[in-house]
Amino acid sequence: MNEPMHDVDLAERRERVTMLRDSAAALVPADGDLRRVRAWRFAGNGLDAQAWALVCEMGWPGLRLAEEQGGSGLGLCEYVALLEELGKGLAPEPLNEVACLVSLLPAEWREPVLRGERLVLPGHGAGLVADHQGRLLGQAKVSLGKAAHGWLLMNEDSAWLVDAQGLEGQALATQDGGHVLALALNGVPAQRLASSPEQLRRVRDEAALGVAAYLLGCMQGAFARTLDYLKVRKQFGREIGSFQALQHRMVDLHIQIELSRALVEETAACLDRSVAPGEAQRRIYATRVQAGDAALRVCREAIQLHGAIGYTDEADIGLFLRRVLVAASAWGTQGGYRQGYARLIAEEAFNG
Amino acid sequence: MSDMNALHEDYESMSDEAFRGLLREWIETHYPAHLRNPRRRLGLEESRAWYRLLGERGWLAPGWPTRHGGMGLSAAKQLIYMEEWERHGCARLPDSGLTMLGPLLIRFGSEAQKAFYLPRILAGEHFWCQGYSEPNAGSDLASLRTEAVDCGDHWRVNGQKIWTTMAGHSNWIFMLVRTDRQARPQAGISFLLVPLASPGVEVRPILNLDLHDEFSEVFFTDVRVPKENLVGEVNQGWSMAKALLGFERIFLGSPKQSTHALERLERLARLGGIEHQEAYRQRHAALRLRLDAHRALYERFAEALRQGQALGPEVSMLKINQSELFQAICELALEVAGEDAALLDPLAEDAALYPAGLFIQSLPTTIYGGSNEIQRNILARQVLGLPG
Repeated sequence: MNEPMHDVDLAERRERVTMLRDSAAALVPADGDLRRVRAWRFAGNGLDAQAWALVCEMGWPGLRLAEEQGGSGLGLCEYVALLEELGKGLAPEPLNEVACLVSLLPAEWREPVLRGERLVLPGHGAGLVADHQGRLLGQAKVSLGKAAHGWLLMNEDSAWLVDAQGLEGQALATQDGGHVLALALNGVPAQRLASSPEQLRRVRDEAALGVAAYLLGCMQGAFARTLDYLKVRKQFGREIGSFQALQHRMVDLHIQIELSRALVEETAACLDRSVAPGEAQRRIYATRVQAGDAALRVCREAIQLHGAIGYTDEADIGLFLRRVLVAASAWGTQGGYRQGYARLIAEEAFNG
Repeated sequence: MSDMNALHEDYESMSDEAFRGLLREWIETHYPAHLRNPRRRLGLEESRAWYRLLGERGWLAPGWPTRHGGMGLSAAKQLIYMEEWERHGCARLPDSGLTMLGPLLIRFGSEAQKAFYLPRILAGEHFWCQGYSEPNAGSDLASLRTEAVDCGDHWRVNGQKIWTTMAGHSNWIFMLVRTDRQARPQAGISFLLVPLASPGVEVRPILNLDLHDEFSEVFFTDVRVPKENLVGEVNQGWSMAKALLGFERIFLGSPKQSTHALERLERLARLGGIEHQEAYRQRHAALRLRLDAHRALYERFAEALRQGQALGPEVSMLKINQSELFQAICELALEVAGEDAALLDPLAEDAALYPAGLFIQSLPTTIYGGSNEIQRNILARQVLGLPG
């Protein structure tokens, strides 16, 4: 998928990461303004068309895609840096979904998807199976599925492309103001994609790392706001941030964020250098579990540290928690990764 | 009048078991099935019929003396009363008048105030909300600034209250107001009763994180309040309000929320088919053990109440432990729910299961009723004797 990166000058790469981070400001206001995210909630089909056009104009969906397929062939280090920035501002765009699946798409879909003319979103299925005529049966859930022209539906070892036209599902509202589209497929025409189980596994694993990076951004966004608040909110005649009990809590959260960052960046760098599949997966799962636990903890404590105002919908801090509830169940659940990690280290121990 | 029958019932001479049986049977017969274990706190209209029914039975006010229309229960019997309501999953009533204002009036109100207000609470005519917190007086309540100025024949009130629970479902507010700016903060506060329909009062609902307008801001602009609406002595409001907090803390320390959440967790695990998984069982067992320990702690305080002892500042530990356990259970429930934790509505498979909602509703329990940080300060200073 991507060229090995060790021959690239490190300084040049760092610069590229910085530029990507800066470019995220196009979507995520540097001053932390969340009005766009608020307006997106509970409205429309789940996609801010203007923002998505911008995402495609920047070439982000093709960031990981090889240059000969029309992408920019960048590594995971660059990719996770961008997702982290988007997470800081709670960008609801399904970039991690599209950027991870685009390599699986046939050219006639891939090109319009990269240009932003069409949207394909991934879905995960229970008991997905194709009948002898290649029609798809089973159930699947697609995050923001109403906004898509096509759905790429996956089980463990196969993937199918389904044209969304004429098909309807049941949209279930989600805590962040988006939705999940539940599909009941009873013999729907589907194009089976020529993807190996290993390829699908890699897509899923890299997407899980993308989720971890996005969550890393979310927790930083929540933390930064809380830090600011503790410096201005006064009770008992002092800034509440001057109370040692609260200072210690903030320090503990800061440590959780830095642990998450260390894993996200180390895992991305390892994978860019290419490691054995088992080790790659173990590192990704560890990163995903740490980021999921830390994001929920930071957002939960951020509300507590805001006090009653944190429990209102008008305070932006709650948007972080609600987004994390949704983001942390994309591409697999916290419990699934926790168990997966336990299984992988047991296997490693067994294999010596 | 059916209340008369109720007045003749002598609950205190009943055994605990007989009393429990009486409550249980009546609740099971009369409680509206559709209001069991509601997803959110009920509004006034939803609970009005049940409120009336309880009023007619004479069972609205377990702690009030019988001469004021209450049940005259001892602390021990009040606990049984509370437990039976919780056991059946009965919704909380719009109860500020019953649990907060009523006992305060009975203790500190004038005869005229008792005669006017208490029957109207029991009749479901006055519904009260509590106006204590202000934007800059939350944990530091004593710094409140809403002011009542003596204008001879009336008080003139100006200021703002916030986090006023159920204000949109109430017609009266009992509030703490500043009546002396010169005194030290706690000494210049009075307790005032104000109709929300008074000119100059404006209620603005606030959407909470659960997207529910449970609380409000209440603004007061030159509101005229009759002189006789002040309870107790001028500038004595703080100590009156504080006298009621002990009961609130044992109420907030009841194991009911955690028990309820643990039951939901177990149902979610069964639904997901993971109840026998080792990893789940270990985490569930750890929480169950914490709940067993909490129940034991709660029982000690309940026993002290039964013995007629006053609850000291150490009751704060109940509120801390309960709320943090509740949150821990809800957090595991979130993980057990998997991708369903993202949903905005209860699960299609079982409408009693709403993992994200349960989790979100657990968050304010460490904030309201005196935040857990404040409760820890109380324990550190007043129980452990650490310097403040």
